[in-house]
Amino acid sequence: MHPEKQKHDFEPKIIAFVCTWCTYAGADLAGTSRMQYPPNVRVLKFPCTGRIDPVFILKAFQQGADGVLVSGCHPGDCHYIAGNFHARRRFAAFRKLLEFVGVDLNRLQFSWVSAAEGGKWVEVVTDLTEKVRAMGPMHEFKDLALEEQWSGAINTPELKEAYNQI
Amino acid sequence: MKIGIYVCTCGSTLSRTIDVPSIAQAALSFPDSPSVTTMDFICSENGRRQFEDHLKQEQPERVVVAACSPRDHETTFRRCMTNAGLNPYLLQMVNIREQIAWVTEDPDAATEKAIVAIRGAVNRVKLQQPLEKMQCEICPDVLVIGAGPAGMKAALALAEAGRTVTVVERLPFIGGLPVRFDELFPACECAPCLLDPLMGDLLHGEFDGTVELLTMAELAEVTGFYGAFNVTIRQRARHVSLHECIGCGACVEACPAATMNEFRNGTVERKAIDFAFAGALPSVPTLMEDTCVRSRGEECQACKDICPMGRDVIDLDQPDSILERHVGAIILATGAGLYDASLVTGMGKGVFSDVYDSCEFERMLSSTGPTDGQIITSRGTTPSSIAIIHCVGSLDPEHKPYCSGICCQYAFIFNHLISDRLPGTAITHFHRELVLPGKEAHSLAQQARHNQNTRFVRYESIHDLAVTATDDGKLAIHASGKLTTGDMVILCPPVIPSSGAGKIASILDIKRDQSGFFRELHGRTDAAQSPVRGIYLAGACQDPMDIRSAMLQGMASAGHVLAALKPGGIIDIEPITAEVDETRCSGCRLCISVCPYRAITFNHSHNASEINAILCRGCGTCVAACPAGAIKGHHFTSDQITAEIKGLLS
Repeated sequence: MHPEKQKHDFEPKIIAFVCTWCTYAGADLAGTSRMQYPPNVRVLKFPCTGRIDPVFILKAFQQGADGVLVSGCHPGDCHYIAGNFHARRRFAAFRKLLEFVGVDLNRLQFSWVSAAEGGKWVEVVTDLTEKVRAMGPMHEFKDLALEEQWSGAINTPELKEAYNQI
Repeated sequence: MKIGIYVCTCGSTLSRTIDVPSIAQAALSFPDSPSVTTMDFICSENGRRQFEDHLKQEQPERVVVAACSPRDHETTFRRCMTNAGLNPYLLQMVNIREQIAWVTEDPDAATEKAIVAIRGAVNRVKLQQPLEKMQCEICPDVLVIGAGPAGMKAALALAEAGRTVTVVERLPFIGGLPVRFDELFPACECAPCLLDPLMGDLLHGEFDGTVELLTMAELAEVTGFYGAFNVTIRQRARHVSLHECIGCGACVEACPAATMNEFRNGTVERKAIDFAFAGALPSVPTLMEDTCVRSRGEECQACKDICPMGRDVIDLDQPDSILERHVGAIILATGAGLYDASLVTGMGKGVFSDVYDSCEFERMLSSTGPTDGQIITSRGTTPSSIAIIHCVGSLDPEHKPYCSGICCQYAFIFNHLISDRLPGTAITHFHRELVLPGKEAHSLAQQARHNQNTRFVRYESIHDLAVTATDDGKLAIHASGKLTTGDMVILCPPVIPSSGAGKIASILDIKRDQSGFFRELHGRTDAAQSPVRGIYLAGACQDPMDIRSAMLQGMASAGHVLAALKPGGIIDIEPITAEVDETRCSGCRLCISVCPYRAITFNHSHNASEINAILCRGCGTCVAACPAGAIKGHHFTSDQITAEIKGLLS
């Protein structure tokens, strides 16, 4: 049906956290321009990259993502003045933490994609998909999630909430 | 929970790539087994009606629309929800067109991707909460700070629209910087004549009851927010009644004390009671307390005794006053100043008395200036050669990195006026760049080019220039080894914000850029608004600009106020904002430091942060920053996002 379509043994799940004003619009532009890219990416829209709590990245890995992309407005272009700068700082620190716990940082990518950069969106998504495909599935957090079910041993509502927050 | 999924086939645009029956099949396994309804062109008039009818009939508790990008039609479909009696925020859209069908060739992959995305949306929409727009009563009155071109234009436009306006001016007179100038670029108009209609309207126009002008007044304190600011203004005593004084000047004649007049370059005396300069409006003198002999303990009532309007016009003991005003919006029109050219070494400013900055030379050209409009040196001689040095501290990382955009133009007005008043005077322009934008600026420059007594010398760096004195008392300008002598040097330093901008920024807690100009909401699309709702920017306090731009921005800021604070005094507050759970807030105040809109304050009595929904724009930066998880971002709650992540990955 599609002669160029390649079958792969492993289709990575990539989740993309994007801001609504720049990168989401850039991804839309890729669509209106009918550019093609791997279907592996699942987009989740935020008002601003400033809203992205690093915990969401952990959640994504825990829930089965093999790669995570965070993308927002270019520095200086933030619709909310400086949300992307706060995001950048937060993620610079968070990457160190992930590295410390042994996550291959190639699975987590940050980029700036503007509303005019449909082509860049395609490039970023394609590159990340292929890179993660080559790395294979991410097991670490998933295994951890399976092992560490809530035991209910110390069953106070505060602890349970704290557990659910992580 | 009853969830309705509506799939739009968008003609055959989507059904060609995405297999809609597979979605219906897959939905059976989604939480709460939502129903799937396929429609064509939901955004069309027919489609919207069908959609609304279906919603009314089925009354789903949550709705997912899988169609185009929410950037296209989320508002449309939210309106349909409202029309069908459902809360619009119980809708979640899935972009299966721009981000799936149009970018994925393989139909199987596209269908699978669509199913996954819809599952994410279903998971999320279950947790979405109905949100309501709030309404808030506001005060439609306006405070304008600064009575220069921008402030006057804004105040009069607002008054014309029926608004009550308070104009606060720091100086004893109105008209800003240009009222002190002579002729203006590009059309050689007389500056006071150009401003006179505005000044007249402000002082004695038909808006007498609605525009309140407070001269010699400054902002002291501001509390409250957009729609409801409480403003405290400190007004220094003028000691002369604005309403009763006829401006005859008899008191000036009688006054025994004098000091140097700052508005006449500090080279001519003024009396303790005097006008700032002839023609300054309002035409009422000011008594300078420090200069008055009474400040030295002497008894004197000379001014009071001679006043032909009676003994009540001058009040020697008038105290400063504190005034309170309640307004809904504040327009900042605090204007510009000039960079201190003595900070640029080698230019001779502050060293040689015949080195002037452009504002001083403007005053010399003006008939109300220190020399009554005569171009003369400090020794009283007529100059036979004048040097004009452009870019003294502009485009210079050691001083100001930017171009002010107006200096070249006034330099050529200087050229024109010098040649006109002192024909034959040799004029040399030392310039780096020549910036002459727009349809009119070139004409004065062309005139200078064709003037046989005008010379142009281009220099690379200000370090290539030096101004020294010759043995015979002339000035010498050294430019890359070549020497030009002159009787007078005029420096064109960068335009900077006026000296009061820093204080105002700290009172209002608004940000300034690296050069001290007030930061705008957006440099291109929203240059007349500050990031803080209800505070608007007009004129050179936001960016160096000419009179035309300042007037336009004055109108723009008035337009913003009129569009936002509507008569009837109600504003809608968008519900997608953040909210603090006081019981979880630890009081660390990290949220306050990350909020770009000054929407968060600390409530000391509750020991918790508090978010003002009117000022919040819903970016969510504080939500992610809160280490205690105490801030909820409505419509983007952590639970909703986590649910979507799970749906997208399960």
